[in-house]
Amino acid sequence: MPLGSADVVVIGAGVSGLASAYYLAKAGKDVAVVEKGFVGGEASGRNGGMISERVDEPPMIPMAVESLKIWPTLDDELGYPTEFTHQGRLQVAVSEEEMGDLFSERDEALRRGLSVEQLDPSEVLDLIPGITGRTLGGLFFANGGHANPQRSVQAFAWAFQDLGGRIYQHTAVTGMTVADSRVSSVETTAGPIETDLVVAAAGPQTGLLAEMVGAHVPVAPARVEIIATAPLDPLFNIAIVGNGLYGRQAARGNLLFGGGPHEWTDVGLTTDPNKTNTPLIRNIARRLAELLPGVADVPVIRSWAGVVEQAPDYLPIIDRLDNPSNYVVVTASAHGFGISPATGKAVSELVLSGQSSIDIGALGLDRFSEVGGDWREERGWIPVPHRS
Amino acid sequence: MESKPLVVVGAGAAGTAAAIEAARAGVQVTLIDENPISTAMMGLNVPQFFGRRYTDAMQDTSLTLEMVTSANDALSEAQEAGVDVRLGTCVWGAFANTETSRVLDGPQLGLSDGVRSWLMKYDRLIVAAGARDLGIPFAGWDLTGSMGANGAYSLMSRYDALSSRRIVVLGSGSLGLNTAIMALDRGIEVPAVVDVSPIVQGDEALLAQLRHRGVALYTSHTVREAIGTDGEVESVVLVEIDKHCEPISGSEKVISADTVCLAIGLVPNVELLSLLGCELHFKSELGGHVPNHDNRMRTSVANVFVAGDVAGFHDGMTLDIEFARSRGRLAGIAAAQSLGAIDEEDAVARMSDLRPADSTPTEVHTNWRRWLKSLVNCGGPDIFVCQCEEVTFADLIETRPPRYLGWESDPMSRRSVKTLLEDGPVNPNQVKRLTRAGTGECQGRLCREQVSMLLAEESGAGLADIPLMSYRPPLRPLPLKVMWPHEETEQVRSDWPKWFSPTSQVLG
Repeated sequence: MPLGSADVVVIGAGVSGLASAYYLAKAGKDVAVVEKGFVGGEASGRNGGMISERVDEPPMIPMAVESLKIWPTLDDELGYPTEFTHQGRLQVAVSEEEMGDLFSERDEALRRGLSVEQLDPSEVLDLIPGITGRTLGGLFFANGGHANPQRSVQAFAWAFQDLGGRIYQHTAVTGMTVADSRVSSVETTAGPIETDLVVAAAGPQTGLLAEMVGAHVPVAPARVEIIATAPLDPLFNIAIVGNGLYGRQAARGNLLFGGGPHEWTDVGLTTDPNKTNTPLIRNIARRLAELLPGVADVPVIRSWAGVVEQAPDYLPIIDRLDNPSNYVVVTASAHGFGISPATGKAVSELVLSGQSSIDIGALGLDRFSEVGGDWREERGWIPVPHRS
Repeated sequence: MESKPLVVVGAGAAGTAAAIEAARAGVQVTLIDENPISTAMMGLNVPQFFGRRYTDAMQDTSLTLEMVTSANDALSEAQEAGVDVRLGTCVWGAFANTETSRVLDGPQLGLSDGVRSWLMKYDRLIVAAGARDLGIPFAGWDLTGSMGANGAYSLMSRYDALSSRRIVVLGSGSLGLNTAIMALDRGIEVPAVVDVSPIVQGDEALLAQLRHRGVALYTSHTVREAIGTDGEVESVVLVEIDKHCEPISGSEKVISADTVCLAIGLVPNVELLSLLGCELHFKSELGGHVPNHDNRMRTSVANVFVAGDVAGFHDGMTLDIEFARSRGRLAGIAAAQSLGAIDEEDAVARMSDLRPADSTPTEVHTNWRRWLKSLVNCGGPDIFVCQCEEVTFADLIETRPPRYLGWESDPMSRRSVKTLLEDGPVNPNQVKRLTRAGTGECQGRLCREQVSMLLAEESGAGLADIPLMSYRPPLRPLPLKVMWPHEETEQVRSDWPKWFSPTSQVLG
């Protein structure tokens, strides 16, 4: 069956692409999403599910704050559950170093007029019963929370389809036809789609796609890991960062925590990257047991890994290229899930009117004008060689 | 970290034979087996479907260790051959470098004795992890006393700790018939052997023996439900089915029993092979996904071999323990040869008395799907497919969010596996994350075959086209304090980054 044409072709059925597709379809555009795997099959469906104001990455604050206005309305808006919970985010310090981070984020939040509360160890214990006695202090952001990644990305997908949008799973992009500085057609393993506009939201593959149209979008793929425990009775509903981990208790009761060393890697355009776990999951388990000593007897029942991408400054990229001029780049440097509602809104506005009502000025590609083609090698953001 | 030339996982007939053969060829062999299994693990129906029907003797770990040793003569033979035998040690992980993961200085296993965990490197690995029970749903199959044939076999032959007094056996293959005879030999009553097929499927000699001992055989029958108060099976309701697997009303028979044993089929335990990236393929004649291997049991990963039921199980193998030993010996000789312990000529000589199976594999999923269809017809949409997460047949087919979310909406009610199919071939990992079927403590060992069969049914796809639901470490539920790496270095502690900071990756 030929794929025909579409006003907009979105490449990538991750959360950024589908949120963009949803808002574009809602604005009346005929949108087709092409995805080499299945909806949310990569990082969008397997991340930590954390949602915050991103005080740790100030240029993201406008996007993050806007997202936190939309998240509470999403279940009703989309008609499907996201498991969003808005109980706040707690940053716990168990070392002097983490205490230092706490102070700097507190100061940043106050400068920005965001709600933040510094907690002493007993106040942290009130919020998270059973937290380690090594706690030195905490920082509580009331405006934060978490959601279920796979359920949320599927909610965007289904709501998009309910508006008449098309999703082509197991369909990889193999090329693009560019004429007169515009992409006229996206070639896929299921045939070409003619289009007026391309939104490239392909996570780690975004850089490879940009090369197809002669553009340079610097992103480096990396693999990260998470563990899951057996379900427990409700302990806390707050997203937690501390002891080198980030995590939450899911609606089902499982503790889901990740963190630790990442591994730079490479990805292919048409293949799924290996999402391998390593013995690192034991170190994560130890840190979780240190953070919450009362759950040390709880079994870990699975783990998983995901491949994310990072731009040179760890920030998202949302921008429209000059050439080809009908090509929008969306990549989130592993922050995509939390800000996805704002991403969708910003991208749809960028497509429809040429500019976004949300301040994405800091997320443009012009900030990388000095970043050369071999930036990954220069920084060492490349895979280690295979061992013999 | 310990580093071994050859590790054999699983001390069943094939694993012990492999270990002995390799040790006799001069290889230093480490043989690992998780028996005796703790009651905590047994209670979760991991690794086998034990149905919580074991005596208090299982609490006594020194006794169970003695039982496991005395029940397995090959273990002492292995020890005499110089094999380093590690009992009570489970393999919960297998780690090897991939395209995206290159930090390891060699492939390694994650091991645990229930108190602590550690890693062990290997040059060669022989996986002899056996097969597990096919899980299949009927009302009441989550009660205590609902168990699998392998679980029952282990409790009878290995621990002498099966606490059942009256067992209804489901499945009339040699697996089911043999389970019934083993139970009878231990003084356990067997009021019924049941199969959806119109004829008994297993070995004729076993059948004659059962008939002689007065066991009733119910062909063209299925289970309507297992009934019990206090969470334990007290009776089993059988019902006759027509050729469409629909129950014939009025044909119900209520049979008093404290145990119902699923002996319909076995599925190879390919978890470790899957983690190691060994190529698998679906072959119904061999019980599902099985490893590709050459004629010397070597998988697509050059240093990994397979032996025994994990390489594929068919019903005739129930009675053919010599074949399991032969395949184990073959893997042991091949691994020894690949390590250079013996030369090719010597290897061929040692293989001279190996023999093939004395029975022919036949396709099993037609029967399995008949079972599933009859059970769904009897049990209705609300039977639990996934016990751990309480996902019903209807929840799965309609891709409903879990009920603890209390979510209902019109758009959601229009969604189903069928609408997912409009987007492309169905993937059990996607359905798993939406419905939670397979996300429990047993990692889908009791539900993944049903999920695949139901997805195949809904989609009209062949079972071979349904991808394997992924396995992830730890393959056994492992408490945080057990997983805890006691050997963690100070460097790993101090180099532990915040999120991508420092940006250089920390290795090792």
